[in-house]
Amino acid sequence: MTLTLADDRPLLRHLADVRWVLLALALLLAAIGLATVHSASSELAVDYLPRQAVWVALGLLALFAALGVDYQSLTKFSLPLYVGGLLALAAVLFLGTERGGARSWFGIGSFGLQPSEFAKLTTALLLARYLAATNRRYLRLHEIAGACGLVAVPMALIVLQKDLGSAAMFLPMLAGMLFVAGVRWQVIVAAALLALVAGGVLWNFVMLDYQKGRVMTFLDPGRDPLGAGYQLRQSKIAVGSGQIVGRGYMQGTQSQLRFLPARHTDFVFAVLAEEWGFLGVASVLVLYGIFIFNGAMVAVRARDRTGILLVVGLLAGFAFHVAYNTAMVVGLVPITGIPLPFLSYGGSFTLASFLATGMILGVDLRRYVNR
Amino acid sequence: MKRVREERENLVSRIPRLQVFFAALMIIIATGYWRVQVVGGDFYRGLAENNRLRRVPIKAPRGLIYDRDDRLLVDNVPSYNLLLDGSRSANVERALAFAAAVLEREPSELRSAVERHSGRSRFEPVLLAENLTLADVSQVSVAQLEYPEFEIDVEHLRLYRHGPLTAHALGYLGEATEEDLARRPGAYQPGDLVGRKGMERVFDLHLRGRDGERELIVDSRGRTREEHGREAAVAGKNLHLTLDLELQQEAARYLGERAGAAVALDPRSGEVLMLVSAPSYNPNLFTRRLDDEQWRELIDSPYHPLQNRTIQNAHPPGSVFKMVLAVAGLSEGTVSPTDSVFCSGSTTIYNRRNRCWLRRGHGWVNLRKAIKESCDVYFYHLGQKLGINRIAHYARLFGLGGPTGFDIPGEKAGLIPDTEWSLARRGSPWYPGETISVAIGQGPILVTPLQLAGMTAALANGGRLVRPHLARGGRSAPSAPIAVDPDAIALVREAMWAVVNEEHGTGSSVRLPYVQIAGKTGTAQVVEQRTWTRNEDLPEEHRDHAWFVSFAPVDDPRLVVVAFVEHGGHGSDAAAPLAKRIYESYFGDPDPR
Repeated sequence: MTLTLADDRPLLRHLADVRWVLLALALLLAAIGLATVHSASSELAVDYLPRQAVWVALGLLALFAALGVDYQSLTKFSLPLYVGGLLALAAVLFLGTERGGARSWFGIGSFGLQPSEFAKLTTALLLARYLAATNRRYLRLHEIAGACGLVAVPMALIVLQKDLGSAAMFLPMLAGMLFVAGVRWQVIVAAALLALVAGGVLWNFVMLDYQKGRVMTFLDPGRDPLGAGYQLRQSKIAVGSGQIVGRGYMQGTQSQLRFLPARHTDFVFAVLAEEWGFLGVASVLVLYGIFIFNGAMVAVRARDRTGILLVVGLLAGFAFHVAYNTAMVVGLVPITGIPLPFLSYGGSFTLASFLATGMILGVDLRRYVNR
Repeated sequence: MKRVREERENLVSRIPRLQVFFAALMIIIATGYWRVQVVGGDFYRGLAENNRLRRVPIKAPRGLIYDRDDRLLVDNVPSYNLLLDGSRSANVERALAFAAAVLEREPSELRSAVERHSGRSRFEPVLLAENLTLADVSQVSVAQLEYPEFEIDVEHLRLYRHGPLTAHALGYLGEATEEDLARRPGAYQPGDLVGRKGMERVFDLHLRGRDGERELIVDSRGRTREEHGREAAVAGKNLHLTLDLELQQEAARYLGERAGAAVALDPRSGEVLMLVSAPSYNPNLFTRRLDDEQWRELIDSPYHPLQNRTIQNAHPPGSVFKMVLAVAGLSEGTVSPTDSVFCSGSTTIYNRRNRCWLRRGHGWVNLRKAIKESCDVYFYHLGQKLGINRIAHYARLFGLGGPTGFDIPGEKAGLIPDTEWSLARRGSPWYPGETISVAIGQGPILVTPLQLAGMTAALANGGRLVRPHLARGGRSAPSAPIAVDPDAIALVREAMWAVVNEEHGTGSSVRLPYVQIAGKTGTAQVVEQRTWTRNEDLPEEHRDHAWFVSFAPVDDPRLVVVAFVEHGGHGSDAAAPLAKRIYESYFGDPDPR
């Protein structure tokens, strides 16, 4: 028995047609990340390179695992997965360990797992299923409200962990999926106005002082040069001193002499900017751009609404991570704890990024099946 | 399973809009990086360099100062300061308790030093204590492992080995003021120590050398990683003075608690061998920050110890001024050496009776005897004949009433009056009666001890003005002889010899067997006396000032000594013995018993 390419089940042909460029980009970015994390942590007691390499390897396994599972069967189980994610978020409130003021981690030995990263994926699955089911040109208001409600529950749990940045990352995912699922422009305007009002309420009644401080510092960096402004100032110095071609690998004084805090995690891009200059920054931004556009092409040719919405949701979250982190490092937006996919050191986030990539590739792989 | 046709195309059609939105975001962000890295790159590179490089000055050792026999007058000595680096301290309170125990001081004292420091950079160490003993230093060093927050800083302090003895000649150091920074742009940095007075000030640039600099690469904790560059300090040059420490000691010993001044110089070159102003102050006090009490004491003292009496206090010269009149009278042909005047103890000029200091009178006096016995009556008449303007002219020829050009700045000009001065400054004409007072060095005439030393040097060296100076090897070419009759100077010198060496000379107490001294006493009235009151019966502040000007040996003068004792009474009693001691010390007794 021979397997022909003109078969009704042309799996190999499809495998060849999958946008492996996404995997290649993920691996390339992860490699750049490993090199930069090594440079950023070479002066520390612990070199984070081996740990991050383990996470990348685990991520690669997760990617292929996600690739192997049919997203349609996954969406069937999206409700229990979503509930499981919520339970994990609730559990971490009581059982988690505290890091940097946020109780959002499960400590496993010296590694930590952040359930919020995985809750994002399960929420995306449930949201894709929910919005796919509407099956009309524009969403009705109660459907929008329902989608918001689905997102609000995990967000609220993450806010309780005092991890505002991670919580906020649900919003671009929600916004991207709602937009593609169809929202009338009147609703968008109304939502923008509502957001303004909500912002005022948040500022006055919800946000904590350190969070306000970050915003204030963003607006006026000279306000507190040794406190909240220090991070921003050192980051801009690192980025700016890279100039066009950079200071050379492992030659950045801001990172090598430890002036830049959080340089292997949220501010890893500042280290890259310092050592590789604007050329390095532009190259990596282009790589991210290629990744997003290829991901978008997966959405465009996906077989069904669920696939489209799932890919859009995952990509929107990913794109926002990239945009916010790079903008934050250069001082365009206030500082908050948002890492850069594939580059920043961090187990759960790396794992989740590879998982999401695997899910996107999975959608692409199954685009002809059961049409 | 029933298949519903899915509403799919609308979804797909919206995706490009998201792509455009994302592309726009990325362009904005890339522009942000362009602005910071390409446009602002140099600026941020500078900030990064500033972050990592610490410039630590290497202080150039200041030049030492020696006297004319190469005896060390000013030394640099190491001083140890205790610094606390708060950023390295796990427990500041515990560290302070330890330091307090070592230094045997109260922890609260040290804590207040830390509190005063708050607001400055936390990476900048706090100065806890200065001037640690070596025992303290070793205790802190031994505990370095346990208390890494302590640093010992070595600083070189100026030590004036002879303290008050050389204070007015040498001066002291102080932190550069705004004025210093403006005066010599680039020469000084804020915080630099610069010479405040005396030779430390005049030769500051010679002595100070050039500070070096170490460029250190530091990390964000301020810890040094490596040395990036080093510019060595250039040591200051030493300064050799013409001062003679032994003469200085003799004069100070004589003056003791009394206020006064003493100057000795070489009449051939103007080299100053002795410059004493009493009372003095201890310049080593200025090395450390003075406390208020010490400063008040110096400022409020009625004896003004900070004032350099050799150049900053001007007084009437008294009879010492008679030499100027003698030279003027002879040069102008107003008198001849043989002209005589009868002194009955007083004389009436311009309807006013003017007394001679000797009540019974000197009888017939010629010029030589008038100088030797200091007859006032003779000079009243000579002054009257010369008139104030000619007296003033000759006084100025001898360098009186103006700065001598001495190294040390701050010289008082003093005052030589004439008719023009009277009209311009007093707004009233000069009264001829005043000339009679000026003729014996009283009235509105003021000179400094150094000016009188210059005058005496000109008499000693045959009529040339020298520029008094303290730095060895300085310019010392004497000026051309002043426009006076050389024979007049010769006669005055001979008369000054007689003052010391002949009977009835007013300076006979100074006579030494092994060196021929010439001199002249002077007594400057502090308050005008209408009656004959014994000076000893007056309150101290009304007693006369005593002068003695002199040179020796008379045939080949090598030393001029001017002594001035405030409220000392008669020149012969109070000032002359000082000069005698100086000559004894300088020429020595070739045949000691």
